[in-house]
Amino acid sequence: MSVDSVIHDIGYQRYTGPRLGRGYAFRSLFLHGLRTAYGLGRPAKAKIFPWSVATIVAAVAVVLTAIRAQTGEQVLSYVQYTEQMGLMAILYVAIVAPELVSRDLRSGVLPLYFTRALSATDYALAKLGALVCAVWLLLGGPQLIMFFGGAFGTDDGAKGVWNEFVDLLAGQVYAGIHAVVFASLALLVASLTGKRAFAAGGIVAAYLMTLPIVGILSVTDSQAARDLAGVVSPAGLVQGVGQWFFDTDAIEVGDYGPVYGVVAVAFVAGCATLLLGRYRKVATR
Amino acid sequence: MTTIELSNVSRWYGNVVAVNNITMTLGPGVTGLLGPNGAGKTTLLHMMAGFLPPSRGTVTVAGAPAWRNPSVYRILGLVSEREAVHGFLTAWEFVLANAKLHRLPDPEAAARRALSLVEMTEAQDRRIDTYSKGMRQRTRVAAALVHDPQVLVLDEPFNGMDPRQRLQMMDLLHELGAAGRTILFSSHILEEVEQVSGTVQVIVAGRLAASGDYRSIRRLMTHRPHVFSIHSSDDRRLAVALIGQPSVTGVELESTGLTVRAGDYGTFTRALPKIALAEGIRVRRLLPSDESLESVFSYLVAS
Amino acid sequence: MPRLAPPPYPRRVPLIATQSLTKKYNARVTALDDLTVTVEPGVIGLVGANGAGKSTLIKILLGLLPPTSGQARVFGLDPTVDTAAVRARVGYMPEHDCLPPDLSAAEFVTHLGRISGLPRTAARERASEALRHVGLYEERYRQIGGYSTGMKQRVKLAQALVHDPDLLLLDEPTNGLDPAGRDAMLGLIHRIGTEFGISVVVCSHLLGEVERICDSLVAIDGGRLLRSAQLSAMTTATDVLVVEVSEGMAELARRLADLGIQARQDGRLLLVALESDDTYDRILAAVAELDLPLHRLDQRRHHVAELFRTPAAQGAQVGGSASEAAHVR
Repeated sequence: MSVDSVIHDIGYQRYTGPRLGRGYAFRSLFLHGLRTAYGLGRPAKAKIFPWSVATIVAAVAVVLTAIRAQTGEQVLSYVQYTEQMGLMAILYVAIVAPELVSRDLRSGVLPLYFTRALSATDYALAKLGALVCAVWLLLGGPQLIMFFGGAFGTDDGAKGVWNEFVDLLAGQVYAGIHAVVFASLALLVASLTGKRAFAAGGIVAAYLMTLPIVGILSVTDSQAARDLAGVVSPAGLVQGVGQWFFDTDAIEVGDYGPVYGVVAVAFVAGCATLLLGRYRKVATR
Repeated sequence: MTTIELSNVSRWYGNVVAVNNITMTLGPGVTGLLGPNGAGKTTLLHMMAGFLPPSRGTVTVAGAPAWRNPSVYRILGLVSEREAVHGFLTAWEFVLANAKLHRLPDPEAAARRALSLVEMTEAQDRRIDTYSKGMRQRTRVAAALVHDPQVLVLDEPFNGMDPRQRLQMMDLLHELGAAGRTILFSSHILEEVEQVSGTVQVIVAGRLAASGDYRSIRRLMTHRPHVFSIHSSDDRRLAVALIGQPSVTGVELESTGLTVRAGDYGTFTRALPKIALAEGIRVRRLLPSDESLESVFSYLVAS
Repeated sequence: MPRLAPPPYPRRVPLIATQSLTKKYNARVTALDDLTVTVEPGVIGLVGANGAGKSTLIKILLGLLPPTSGQARVFGLDPTVDTAAVRARVGYMPEHDCLPPDLSAAEFVTHLGRISGLPRTAARERASEALRHVGLYEERYRQIGGYSTGMKQRVKLAQALVHDPDLLLLDEPTNGLDPAGRDAMLGLIHRIGTEFGISVVVCSHLLGEVERICDSLVAIDGGRLLRSAQLSAMTTATDVLVVEVSEGMAELARRLADLGIQARQDGRLLLVALESDDTYDRILAAVAELDLPLHRLDQRRHHVAELFRTPAAQGAQVGGSASEAAHVR
């Protein structure tokens, strides 16, 4: 019995399968960005920074949970925890935002994106979405540890768990606000340059730049000025919104809570618009 | 007559030997410096221009060493591959500055002449950052020519130039070479090297693989039969007649014509017309297929 | 070489068609000026001076820029309206560096495959195939930062192929490659244009390359169409014969003159007027009688480069014989 001999055709094959549309491309870029934010799918060096920050943030949550389990005392509420970790979030976006967008600018890969079914707007929004989610995970993820610790240790049964859950929700919302405000500014600054070091420095500068003004305003005589002092800095803006929503006692806002809210929304919208404009310009270069 | 002479020149960076024991003499006329990427061409050009000292051996230009000898720049001009030009200057300003740096007696006249040689006179008052790549290249060539050097060394001078600019630059180099200057340029586009000058220096992995006129180099490759493509009125009969010749080592018959491998170039080229005539066959085309610089170069790199 | 695979779209639709296409960036800069040209499937060379409008044309065809006036169609589709549809069928290989240094070729091409709309598994498989077809094997798992120029050009080509386009736009594909690399890339492009059934537009400054692999040519000058023709029409034979003997050229010239055959010396070559078919035989006879080594005998052909020589320069071509030798293949 003989075996039939054959030469298999491994020449170029045409593709007749499905071609998914713009939404799929957007999702793919978004997921790719989210993975990049945590160094997944990249060499080990890229994982060091994001995971160090995440570890620190998580460690604090663990310590808080442990203290609460031991002594029953809640040192920081979810909302307060989020606020305290705000500095870590700034550090995080200062390094990760350039990884997301400055690298692409530097390597010149953007024409390869923009000559596919991906508009400049899609690109910018996918990257922004990825960074927002990354920061939200950073600030909100460890809160789950606190939640489980709190829920297990509660004495009030179902009601206790429910209260715990409501607190958690507040913390998550506050984490989300941090994420949206911090990510918008950081991504905008990073999109201006292809050099990661410049971008990181620029982002930190953007956050620190207005602090002197905040400082001055907060010691003037006018109560209104003191209440509104936080509006001019991103961190202060977020804290002001937090005070308005959650009464965190972090800063004084008096009756100007809504102002903080409106300014925050305008700020994010403004950053996003500028970001889109930036990429639309780059796309036609 | 100004020559560049390299004598047992080597250059290494730690364990990397960029140039390995090269001896060559470059005289008047245009010479092409060829080699695969990473073969050491740029290192060699930089040593000739005095930017790098050889780790061993000597590099002399017109008898004087190239290294640590600023007076060599009076007779040498270099156009390197990657140098940047200040975008805010105009071509005129840039070339004039070079002329002044060379302390020429009449810098304006020299600058004008240099710019007209490269045909940049019309655009000379626009800023360099508005130029295309080819125009930038030509500006840099003008700057290297402003002091009328006897020796000109160019690293990939045609990079980025469009067809017209390439032809102009090739004409320019040819003229300068014909006027007695010593010109060395490196290029990957072998068709153009062929057109400007048949004289080449071929570097492979830091060693000098061959020097001289590429046609003669080909004749020296006696172990490689010369390949000819022939188109005649009766290819098959011609093939039969040719394979009977001792100078012919192989014959291939295709629909497009005959391919003949001749082990003995001299005998075959003399015999072919006689054989064709004897057989009453009309030869419409006889072309050497592996005589081009591209073929010679690929043989040198392969061996 | 005949094309083996037919294009998967109706033949009646031209590959690319522009009608009075004009693009002005502002009042002073007109990049394209009333360009009307139709391009049929095959391997097409796009040549022109720097700044003549080639990159603007490509950007318009890819839907990155809208025309100021006139229209452009790719496969009969309007790139400003059906942008996604056009881009799904076109692969673009830019001239400049566009590769991230810290991804491997496999990851990068897969990622772009997904951005082109291929589902995850299909993207991975097609990326792998594309990399195989362009000749990248184990290297594909190493980071792109460590690649040579030749390998980087291949990655760029692979990402243009991954989504199975019907048209490839290659901008200076042999940029920075050494002779062996150029040869390989040109062979690859030729194979894609003939065996894969994909049309290819090659932008190049190197007319020798264009003559070698393209079927037709579009030349743009100052935003306007300079010439659009089949290569075969542009490289027709002239009625001049080129004769080269390795020795005794002067003798041969004299003998031909004696025989009443006009011959002019041009460097190493003798240019002989081809009056009738038996000119060939008479030349051969002269060479044989003089026992000279015959090195070359052929009809001189036109070259694409002639498009770009100004009339004044045409009379005084550089190393005429050398250019002859270079172009006669």
